[in-house]
Amino acid sequence: MRTLLLAAIFSGMSFCWTLTVHAQSVGLPTPRLLTTMPMGAKAGSEVEITITGEYLEEADELTFSDPRLSATRILDEAGQPIPFRYLVTVAPDCPVGVHEARVMTRLGISSSRAFTVGTLDEVVRTKPNTSLADAMELQINTICNAVMTQRAVDYYSFEGRQGERIVVDCATRGIDSKLNAVLIIADAAGRDLLVERRGGSLDFTVPEEGRYVIKVHEITFKGGPAYYYRLALQKLPSEASVVRLPSTQTVNSFSWPPTGLPEKPELTEQEPNSPESPQKISLPCDIAGHFFPAADVDVFEFEAKKGEVWWVEVASERFGLPTDPAIVVQRVERTDNSQTLTDVAEFSDIPSPVRVSSNGYAYDGPPYNAGSADVLGQLEIKEDGIHRLQLSDQFGGTRNDPRNEYRLVVRKAAPDFALVSWALHMELRNGDRNAVSKPLALRGGATMALEVVAIRRDGFEGEIELFMEGLPEGITAQGLKIPSGQSRGMMLVTADPNAPRAFGNVTFSGRANIDGETVTRPCRLASMAWPIPDAWSDLPSPRLLADVPISVSGFDFAPLTIAPTTRDAYSVTAGEKLTIPLAQTRRSEFSGAAMKCRTMGAGFEGVPMFDVALTADSSEVVLDTATLKTQPGEYVIAFYGGAVAKYRHRPKDVDVAEEACRKAEEDVAAIDAEVKNLMDNVQAAAPEKKSEIEQALAAAMVKQKAAADALTAATARLKQATDAAAPRDIVDIVVSEPITIHVQPAEK
Amino acid sequence: MFTNDSVLARGPLQYAAWGAFCGCFMALMTVSVDAAEHRVNFANDVIPVLTKAGCNVGVCHAKAGGGQNGFQLSLLGFEPQEDFEHLVKEGRTRRLFFGAPEQSLLLLKASGRLPHGGGVRLTTDSAGYTVLREWIRQGAPYEAKEDPKFVAFEVLPSRGEVGLQQQQQLQVIAKYSDGTVRDVTSLAVYESNDDAMAEVTSSGLVKIQNISGNVAVMVRYQGQVSVFSASVPLGAPVETLPPPKNFIDEHVFANLKTLGIPPSIPCDDVTFLRRVTLDISGRLPTAEETQTFLASSDPAKRDLVVDALLRSPDYADFFANKWTALLKNRRDDTSDIVSNFAFHSWVRDSLLANKPYDQFVRELLAATGTVLGNPPVAWYKRVKEPKQQIEDVAQLFLGVRMQCAQCHHHPFERWSQDDYYSLVAFFSQVGRKPSGTRGEDLIFHKRGIATANNMKSGLALKPAALGDEIPSITADEDPRLKLADWMSSPTNSFFAKALVNRYWKHFFQRGLIEPEDDIRDTNPPTNPALLTALEQHFIASGFDLKDLVRVIAQSQAYQLSEVPNEFNVSDRQNYSRYYPRRLQAEVLLDAIDTLAETQTDFTNLPPGTRAVALPDNSYNRSTPFLRVFGRPEAESVCECERIQSSSLAQSLHLINAPDIKAKLASPQGRAERLLKDARPVEEKVNELYLVAYSRRPSPEELKTAVDYLNETDITIDGQPVDAETLRGENYQDLIWALINTKEFLFNH
Repeated sequence: MRTLLLAAIFSGMSFCWTLTVHAQSVGLPTPRLLTTMPMGAKAGSEVEITITGEYLEEADELTFSDPRLSATRILDEAGQPIPFRYLVTVAPDCPVGVHEARVMTRLGISSSRAFTVGTLDEVVRTKPNTSLADAMELQINTICNAVMTQRAVDYYSFEGRQGERIVVDCATRGIDSKLNAVLIIADAAGRDLLVERRGGSLDFTVPEEGRYVIKVHEITFKGGPAYYYRLALQKLPSEASVVRLPSTQTVNSFSWPPTGLPEKPELTEQEPNSPESPQKISLPCDIAGHFFPAADVDVFEFEAKKGEVWWVEVASERFGLPTDPAIVVQRVERTDNSQTLTDVAEFSDIPSPVRVSSNGYAYDGPPYNAGSADVLGQLEIKEDGIHRLQLSDQFGGTRNDPRNEYRLVVRKAAPDFALVSWALHMELRNGDRNAVSKPLALRGGATMALEVVAIRRDGFEGEIELFMEGLPEGITAQGLKIPSGQSRGMMLVTADPNAPRAFGNVTFSGRANIDGETVTRPCRLASMAWPIPDAWSDLPSPRLLADVPISVSGFDFAPLTIAPTTRDAYSVTAGEKLTIPLAQTRRSEFSGAAMKCRTMGAGFEGVPMFDVALTADSSEVVLDTATLKTQPGEYVIAFYGGAVAKYRHRPKDVDVAEEACRKAEEDVAAIDAEVKNLMDNVQAAAPEKKSEIEQALAAAMVKQKAAADALTAATARLKQATDAAAPRDIVDIVVSEPITIHVQPAEK
Repeated sequence: MFTNDSVLARGPLQYAAWGAFCGCFMALMTVSVDAAEHRVNFANDVIPVLTKAGCNVGVCHAKAGGGQNGFQLSLLGFEPQEDFEHLVKEGRTRRLFFGAPEQSLLLLKASGRLPHGGGVRLTTDSAGYTVLREWIRQGAPYEAKEDPKFVAFEVLPSRGEVGLQQQQQLQVIAKYSDGTVRDVTSLAVYESNDDAMAEVTSSGLVKIQNISGNVAVMVRYQGQVSVFSASVPLGAPVETLPPPKNFIDEHVFANLKTLGIPPSIPCDDVTFLRRVTLDISGRLPTAEETQTFLASSDPAKRDLVVDALLRSPDYADFFANKWTALLKNRRDDTSDIVSNFAFHSWVRDSLLANKPYDQFVRELLAATGTVLGNPPVAWYKRVKEPKQQIEDVAQLFLGVRMQCAQCHHHPFERWSQDDYYSLVAFFSQVGRKPSGTRGEDLIFHKRGIATANNMKSGLALKPAALGDEIPSITADEDPRLKLADWMSSPTNSFFAKALVNRYWKHFFQRGLIEPEDDIRDTNPPTNPALLTALEQHFIASGFDLKDLVRVIAQSQAYQLSEVPNEFNVSDRQNYSRYYPRRLQAEVLLDAIDTLAETQTDFTNLPPGTRAVALPDNSYNRSTPFLRVFGRPEAESVCECERIQSSSLAQSLHLINAPDIKAKLASPQGRAERLLKDARPVEEKVNELYLVAYSRRPSPEELKTAVDYLNETDITIDGQPVDAETLRGENYQDLIWALINTKEFLFNH
């Protein structure tokens, strides 16, 4: 059934977002899809949606991460596509959950916006509902798509029957919204009955038949287009468990589950598995449990032999739960009347392999945490005997929530790794984190670096190669491997200057040799839900993406391309110096004469910073393998730095607008002349001709007015284009094309 | 200052002591003490003299106050050993002159023979002077091995009935370890807890003034405290008492009967409705509520109103306003907004859901996680240090002021530094992790044995709660949960008492113990039986806050008229009538808005938000009204931070502040609406009185108001003022006049 939802009815949203203009901002203009309205649809339906965002110029194809979602442009009466309007078709077999929506623009593929497929009927709020009197009536088993009104409470109402179990849920952060929702069920007079402010759902048993009110607001009453939500009103059987609305995944969930872990664990905890009556288990084990009730401590007891080595892993926070698991393993010595416990090991967080941003003013690391509050560690048994493993939630002292689950795995070493990556950012300008949120939309001649981080499991120390497959035409990718024992690598994606406009989903993987076998693991991509122009006013909200889309613009080009003068590998003998000539292709003016460059790539990160000229077409860098103590082998490196480009947005539009303006002026001049001529003719005309000429004059004057209007419009467009194309100082992260180096052994 | 003479003789002994000569060198001296002389003991004899003379109080030479001119003594002589060091050895014994004791600096200063900032403390003929001189003459010994130790003292009588303007001489008997006793009446220090009721001389003579009730005199000697409690009856005949509705009435009326204070009669319905609505909901009753209530003939209608008010969210808003200020929900930075709103909401929702008080406190004390996930964590953002945490917890939840005991033994209490640091130990395992949000930490229980170092002794102390033993706390247990367990124990003698006393004060303006957060043996309640009964009732109810409010508000004692009879006009502590009080700043602002039918605009909050629902103190800056009328800044846990006294600024504000004028003249306001209202003017006056006072106007009031509203006037140049304009102004004037009446400004 086709559901026609008029998306232009929601209030407070414009098609173009106001862009914060700094004297010097960070990151070139990037297409970002910021909202869709509605934000989801029922499986097996069609829905009209309206999109908004930044730099969505010439937006055409709307794509999704699942092929069972598709979209076509909505046409006006003249058969022309209406900007930003699409008809989305959801196949009946499209999986329920959050999918990625993106739009292809002049600058390439946009950033992603969550689009949810569900099973309930969907509606869109049609008019303001910020008072009890204006409450929007909702049918049971419906999802309402709406945008939070600033400094207001949105009101909904429903009819409840005594004894009915009503669950109210609200998708917000999990679908990329900035809303921290407060949900309230109130009586018909608006008096609060039940409140949820921590992101949970409301589970309400109707006390008596009648009208009830649902209130929704942001915890600090913020609102506006970025604060959208999907409010679900459902009736559930009394014994049914509540299934929350689908949500995107947190970044650190990339490291769960371990490869090959069964979907269901073999054991569940048996309460009371307390310190007084521990639950007996044998190793290895795979157990599911809950941090419930408050201050729950689950204790498992097992026999172990001296010298045994086990790996202990707990997942809970990586399920998206607000928990902080901690484990203590103790050896138990019992006599007739007493018991002595001796600490053997303690486990708490999985540290991030790279320093995580403190979200301070100065950029001090990526705002992506690949670590977790979960547990992953090695347990070495020091004495034969009974041991106990005590698992608790460091955040659970006073919290009574049975939804806080965990899964505990104790296994023999199964070395492995998991990978996650994100677009590289660096300290360019304090406070501005816009560039952290960027799609893989390449300009011709650009190289984009993705920072890749590995969580190594169970003692795996080997090197990990990184690669991409299925790249669009004109795009190449080169991985800078993660060295043995380390956790950070890089993936460089380069668009040829002549690459045609293209878009495609690629496969991004890591490969390693583990115990003699080649193992390939996916590398998940993470991104930000929103650009953050000011790190003090807003916190980044990172999440995992479902896929890895890459595009090249075909229209716009990188301000600066740095490449070696040859694509061939360089060769150097260990202990000697290697000079690499670089060629700069400049397509913009820059502030300053040179760009400070660093080197990325294992073995060469210690290369001192050097200058790349911004006013010349060539530079060179000298790599001293003696100082770097580079061992023989093959290396891939690249150079990177920040350059302030005098960026001009769509300069060719100025030429087009000027031409249109000139044409309009000519039209005006022509029609002015015609009108003058006709006026003269009227004066001179014979009486029998006068009427005919006057009619012609009237018609000409209408044309004259139209021409004048056209000239005014053309002049405005020219001004607009000129303003947009005026040079703006924008700091761009410039990464060179990858360079391969063979370091030969020194002759003895 | 000493004038009496009482020194007991003991036995002969030779003392060896360090002496000084001319302040230039020290020599070992031998001093003879005749067998017939009293051997002066420093702790038993000298310290009481110094304490009685006021030498060791904060503004003089107490170390806690800095110690004037470098001469430092322990506060009130709690540390005799330290005082001995300071007096005898410090400054090369410059304070004592063994060759001529009366020339000792100590005596020259104390007797005013040398300039002394503290004036004459000991005349040369006083007993205290003699003791000190003799002590110096004997070589300034500390003690002899066989000297008895001071054990305790007793006040005689400890309680009694004393008539108005009568006197009672107290006797203080000290007991020593050898079984001897000594009359130390002249050496003890006395302090009345209410000078208006009883004054006490330095020799222990209690002079009762003209107010009947219960009064206490604190007696301090040698670091210990005791109390004399006096019952001061009025002695009037108490022939009729309202029929008691619950145990509160039994205790209040029994006390009144004992004291001979006849209570006022019960208040009428309109007074009750306005009073209870203001006290429970922080708002005026609506005109509809008033009319419905007055029309009801249900004998239980007062009880039903209390129940209805407790069900309403207004109750939660009003009491959350009280608690969030006490819990320091303070906006120091704009980024605090999220945590402050979340914390306020948590308090409000807890009250709305009637979360048991012990559970509420438990969730606060043992909070873990993030602010958004668990809002009581925000308390740890504002109260960061364990010392501050225990001081706030003790004062707010236990009614015990522990601040003094951080540096020295509590002057009015039994709490030592060990008690202080044993409490600190409960908070010693609070772990913090960076949260990514500026200024906010993740709070968790850090595994380990909880201890805190006594800063003075250096000893690591385990958690102990105000003298009560706490079962051993393992490294895995969060000690804060054990503190919460101790608090919520039915045998805890502080927790429930502090709360019921605080809530009693909320409804009766004066706590049974005053100040409400200074509960100690030396500050006894005015009605001990009532306090005990309330405490037991609260514990038995499962710490049910709404039940406590209900039992108080439904009592006859609460419903007595504020109009005094001929006997109880001076009663301020026995609850023989309702004590009127000015509306709190927020309540008054809301009441004015209600009467004027206007709204005060609060930043970030939806229009129409009541002032009692404001989440933090930041609105005091933007709304001068709140500041002028004493809304607290949430800087301390003391209710005294709220200024309830009247001031000229308040009067001026009500008379002519721009915000008041704007409310009166608001185009959407009541004055404008009534102007356009076609109803008879009498009905409109009725409406105003119902809203402002919850009653109808008397015939005289009605006539005055109607006459005023119908007045005509002329302009300055003698022209008649437009009737419509004038009536509009007259409605504004009438509302303005109502606002400025005590009947409106006060709850009565």
